[in-house]
Amino acid sequence: MSASNSMTAAEFGHGLRVITARELAAYFDSTIAYVYTIAFLLLSHSIFMNDFFLAGVVDMSGYFELLPLLLVFFVPAVTMRLWAEERKHRTAELLLTLPVTPIQAVLGKYLAALTLYGLFLAGSLPIVVMLLALGDPDLGLIFSGYLGLFLFGSLFLAFGEFFSSLTSEQIVAFVAATLLGCILLLTGNAGVVAVLDGLWPSFALGTLLYESVSVMPHYEAFVRGAVRLDSLAYFFGCSAVFLWMNAFVLERDRG
Amino acid sequence: MIRVENVSKWYGSTLAVDSVSFQISKGEIVGFLGPNGAGKTTVLKMLSTWLAPGTGAIRMNGHDVQREPLAVRRTVGYLPEHNALYEIMRVEDFLRFVGRLRGIVHERLGDRLQWVVEECGLGEVVRKRIQECSKGNRQRVGLAAALIHDPPILLLDEPTHGLDPLQVSAFLDFLTGLRSGRAILFSSHILGELVAVSDRLLIMVRGKLLADVAVTELKDRAARDHKGLDELILETVREGER
Repeated sequence: MSASNSMTAAEFGHGLRVITARELAAYFDSTIAYVYTIAFLLLSHSIFMNDFFLAGVVDMSGYFELLPLLLVFFVPAVTMRLWAEERKHRTAELLLTLPVTPIQAVLGKYLAALTLYGLFLAGSLPIVVMLLALGDPDLGLIFSGYLGLFLFGSLFLAFGEFFSSLTSEQIVAFVAATLLGCILLLTGNAGVVAVLDGLWPSFALGTLLYESVSVMPHYEAFVRGAVRLDSLAYFFGCSAVFLWMNAFVLERDRG
Repeated sequence: MIRVENVSKWYGSTLAVDSVSFQISKGEIVGFLGPNGAGKTTVLKMLSTWLAPGTGAIRMNGHDVQREPLAVRRTVGYLPEHNALYEIMRVEDFLRFVGRLRGIVHERLGDRLQWVVEECGLGEVVRKRIQECSKGNRQRVGLAAALIHDPPILLLDEPTHGLDPLQVSAFLDFLTGLRSGRAILFSSHILGELVAVSDRLLIMVRGKLLADVAVTELKDRAARDHKGLDELILETVREGER
């Protein structure tokens, strides 16, 4: 490694891999990963299977419609410890006085959480196999649904990690991230939009929030099989903003 | 190797460090002495890049801590005051993690790991999780992490905290052996430890650097005035507090 202040792409990537590996090991060492993955799979599969056999339709749209409700609670549980734990145990001082940039540390943790989230999603692949065995599902629709789920989770992980960087209490990070998740979800609910619109008809607050803030119109587009550019920009853009703000918080803490 | 010029630091409206200046050259061990809240830890945090100086300039091995933090981190080994470690990791995994982030290439990492494990006396606990280690061994792990990349500058904040007297004595011998080619700054509340290995003492009180004095000069003055070193230092501290 050079003694200069710059960092080559290879050095950046190397640091990223080291941090990601440590974070992943921390998830699995503390059994968090096992508990979360099993709980998530049990819950999501049992609810979906019940609806699936009642409906008798060979597709996964029910699964994709159900998951956001679970992810609002599961994703903050994955991210709440990322920085709050470092703050509480003062290990952030150790990590950030090593030759690591704040964005490198943020991305390293983010990739670890994203990998764990990927495991959650991979756990649902037996459903795809089952659908293929039972009939002829639309694989394009399933693919775009998974892409939507992945992007949905990526955004929730990004703001979950950001909230974790603001506090040393994991529960505070969890509640804050869950709250924002609920807002992003509920502003996409037709009933909530109607109520908000009714509060101030000339302003149409509900419609405004639905069109500009809510995650649901973008996610639902993927579930319907539409991979839209504005939805991709929404997920990538919002995730990038939260990751950048996270790095900014770490930099600001230097005083 | 360490150059601190008129550095001040505020925490809100509290002036924690007030226009502090000093230099430390290669091959020097400098002891950092002062009561609690004197500002020693804040200075060390600024030298390590963990905190940014409010005003003034700090250059470490020729690199400015504000403009070149990465370059500074590459040349510094730092043992923070609370020595926070990733409790759940095994000692060996933790040292490998630090070594990799320090950019030590794979072929060299094994040798460096072996060296720090031997020198810091970690042979018996290397496979243990850090949370299973005694306080003394955790302190050694922190020191090993600070040394793994063979840094030219070593910053140690209360490195003997938690060590028993025998361990302290061994640590001071070890520190003396590290002097060659390095600039070492270490803080402690215990004058005897600092005098035993330091070339110079920096004495801080209420954010101000009251004295930057060679240990030999201090000993000469003590002999001349028929006073103990403790007494001499206490006088300086009390003068500063007034």
